[in-house]
Amino acid sequence: MKRYVKPLGAVLAVVIAAIAIGACGSSSSSSSSSKSSASSGAAAPSSSSSSGTITLAQGVFPQSLDPGLDYTTQGAETNWLVYTGLTTYAHTSGLASTKLIPGLATALPVITDGGKTYTVTLRKGLKFSNGKPVVASDFTYAVERSIKIPWGGSGEFITPNIVGGAAYSSGKAKSISGITTNDATGKIVIHLTHPYGAFVNVLAEPTLGLIPAGFPLKVQPTSPPPGVGPYKVTNIVANQSYDVVRNPLWPSMNVPGIPAGHVDVDVKVNSNVSANALAVLNNTADVFDWADTIPGSLQPQIQAKASSRFSFINLGGSVYYFFLNSQEKPFNNQLAREAVVTGLNEEALSRLGGGTLVPACFFLPPAVAGHPTSASCPYGTPGIGNLAKAKALVKQSGEEGAPVTVWSQERTPRLQWGTYYTQFLNSIGFKATQKPIADATYFTTIGEEKTLHPQTGFADWNQDFPNPIDFYGVLLTGGSILPTDNENFGETNDPQINTNAAKYSAISTTQLQANSTQWQALDEYTAKKAYVAVFGYQKFPKFTSSRINYGAALFNSIYGWDFTSFELK
Amino acid sequence: MSTTSASGTDFSDSAPAGSAGDGQALPAGIGPWALAWRRLRRNKTSMAFGGLFLLIVVLCLLAPVYSHDVAHIGPAAENITGTIKVGGKTENIVSLTDIPIGPTWHSHYFLGADELGRDVAVRLLYGGRNSLEIGAVATLITMIFGTLLGLAAGYFRGLADGAIRGVLDVIWAYPAVLLGVTLGTVLAVGSIGPLHGTNLMVPAVVIGFVYIPYVAKPIRGQTLGLREREFVDAARQQGLSHLRIMGWEILPNLASTIIVFIPLILANAILLEAGLTYLGAGVQPPNASWGTMITDGIDQIPAAFHLVLAPGIMLVLAVLSINIFGDGLVDALNPRAKVRISLTGSETDDH
Repeated sequence: MKRYVKPLGAVLAVVIAAIAIGACGSSSSSSSSSKSSASSGAAAPSSSSSSGTITLAQGVFPQSLDPGLDYTTQGAETNWLVYTGLTTYAHTSGLASTKLIPGLATALPVITDGGKTYTVTLRKGLKFSNGKPVVASDFTYAVERSIKIPWGGSGEFITPNIVGGAAYSSGKAKSISGITTNDATGKIVIHLTHPYGAFVNVLAEPTLGLIPAGFPLKVQPTSPPPGVGPYKVTNIVANQSYDVVRNPLWPSMNVPGIPAGHVDVDVKVNSNVSANALAVLNNTADVFDWADTIPGSLQPQIQAKASSRFSFINLGGSVYYFFLNSQEKPFNNQLAREAVVTGLNEEALSRLGGGTLVPACFFLPPAVAGHPTSASCPYGTPGIGNLAKAKALVKQSGEEGAPVTVWSQERTPRLQWGTYYTQFLNSIGFKATQKPIADATYFTTIGEEKTLHPQTGFADWNQDFPNPIDFYGVLLTGGSILPTDNENFGETNDPQINTNAAKYSAISTTQLQANSTQWQALDEYTAKKAYVAVFGYQKFPKFTSSRINYGAALFNSIYGWDFTSFELK
Repeated sequence: MSTTSASGTDFSDSAPAGSAGDGQALPAGIGPWALAWRRLRRNKTSMAFGGLFLLIVVLCLLAPVYSHDVAHIGPAAENITGTIKVGGKTENIVSLTDIPIGPTWHSHYFLGADELGRDVAVRLLYGGRNSLEIGAVATLITMIFGTLLGLAAGYFRGLADGAIRGVLDVIWAYPAVLLGVTLGTVLAVGSIGPLHGTNLMVPAVVIGFVYIPYVAKPIRGQTLGLREREFVDAARQQGLSHLRIMGWEILPNLASTIIVFIPLILANAILLEAGLTYLGAGVQPPNASWGTMITDGIDQIPAAFHLVLAPGIMLVLAVLSINIFGDGLVDALNPRAKVRISLTGSETDDH
């Protein structure tokens, strides 16, 4: 006769097992690795303090650690310290961290010829992290590689702006005629096709950080090129981990304003952000990645146990939104787009984000010149949303019942934002279904403009530099639409936006505040046209373990954590 | 997962020697199915758990009634910024930091809300419908294809057997969860015919496919034995077609095996659905199932444990009740069970 397991015992055993499985969490993806790491749940503890290694828990692997491709906050957070450009940003916090300083150049560029010629001189004695000496022509190679791969911002920032860039990109020229270099003197001269005020910021992009000429023109995801900077990247295990270690050659190069690091950083990737947060809370990891969201369910615990090493920083340089494809049904219909922005419940989305979003409607975030400071939102104050009016607008548009695919990432709270948004679209009369995509491939997938044409989905943008052209030029102008690695997911191609963005792009970064009303007017126009459904500006978590000197750890307004500021107590 | 194989339905109503009294005649024969039913009925534990499973099914089927008449909210209706009066106090259904309210033990949000402000009790019942539906469809697919393939392989032998066995071995070589995740992910992104993305039949087909070898192989084994029996020989001698022999002679003798497999496969299918959903390859949002509810609730464990507890308990009770009832079914159909038949016509079970 069979024996039965006592039902109560079975219940307890299975429930406990379910909880244990959930608490362990899941990695974003798995691949074989000879490097041991605690891949499930908490990130591994770092080695002893004498070796100066800390662990950073990151929710998603960068698009690439090759600067020729990467265009994500996760990648930039590392790459700006590995691939220093001719210019870079001050190593401080707050608004002052958006101040441009010379990087590998001896001084900021001399701008002549009505803003079309930039001249710099390379510092002497520079070496790549592999020991090879740096020469001026390495800059040209970095630009060529960025165009050839192509880097996601090249279509806006590089190819059309540098003389000969377009010819090189199309294969009509073997090199970029607008860049001349002298390896003996270190002089670099860049000729632009038209004045482009943000070009001095573009020179600070990691993709234009100098790399050795002759490095393969294809993306090298696990063995990226050597760079010049306080750090270098080693031990890359795709989708799992990578090490950001101090470049031993950097201190001797004496580049002013760019300090050497104090510690090495082991980055461990785990898509379970709750597990990451708990790891930092329990001191089994040291730093919570700034671009991840701490679940609201953990905030009371963190506030209670770790208030001295936790806070939210409102950088004001990021925007969270749902793109609406104005070239595809139903959102090629203005009324359909208005329905979305009218009914969207920004307050609900903020709560889903653990209360870390400031509800909003304008595309340019508060820290960027051109953010409308006095205008009202055209479709109602960001908050609960007007569902009845949204339903009426959908009916009026004639798009009731239109099928809509909502693209979203998988990690918290982006999945939940997608789920809420899908249900919201259904409630106002569309027939929406959600399509979650693995975080590591999300932006690459929806950026396949030539095949996909996504109707709507989640997107976010953190400033590359404090200039509105960074937002409009990459995300909202017709010229920024690329067949692959596209960032203008909504395929916005409005003549007024195109014309004005091009005109205002000539305004240099230093003159922006004086000319901000022009950008404000354009941003108000964009809000009225409802090309995007903005729902908030993110506040970022500054959260470390008790091993880290919290007061000394800096947040750069553009790149997030400044690894050079990490110190062990 | 282990398989059980009954060795045949060789029911016997002959009493052990000396049990019915010497020289006394037995009552008229009781058919094997009636015998099995009597044995099952007398297994109070199995019947109780069978009843529990039936109760769960009925409750889940009544989900629309509960949703409309009791909770007054649908399973997908979000209410993130809403409020509710609990004990005279007005509370946010979802707090400003995304912590949902716990059980109110009232008609509204009886088991609390999830982080999207959806009623957990309503989703539990609707989710149960989906989980049970997926389990049932998967079981149907497994049983039909498993039986047909096992029958064909065992009856025809030779090349047909080799080919079918080869396919089954390939499927069996992959761990069920791994194969399920692979197929589920492919179908979630792409499609095969009408099956795509959020269609509930996607996980049902995937799970049904994965479990086919677990049924086909034992069926094949039994068929190999049955095809050598005299009644099959006799049928061949009579000139009956292969199809007729398989359908009318062999298949009825596999009935008890098939019946025994059903609850086993159903329980495993429901569990696998929960596992696949947790791994992102099962039921897709916003559809509810017990698996999606557990997945969604994992991040909220520190502050809203009820989100995982409620579907977890339902899952455990459903699977446990099916398994225990299934065990009782095995015992009832067990040919080694001896039954003493008294003169009054009632019987006792002495195994």
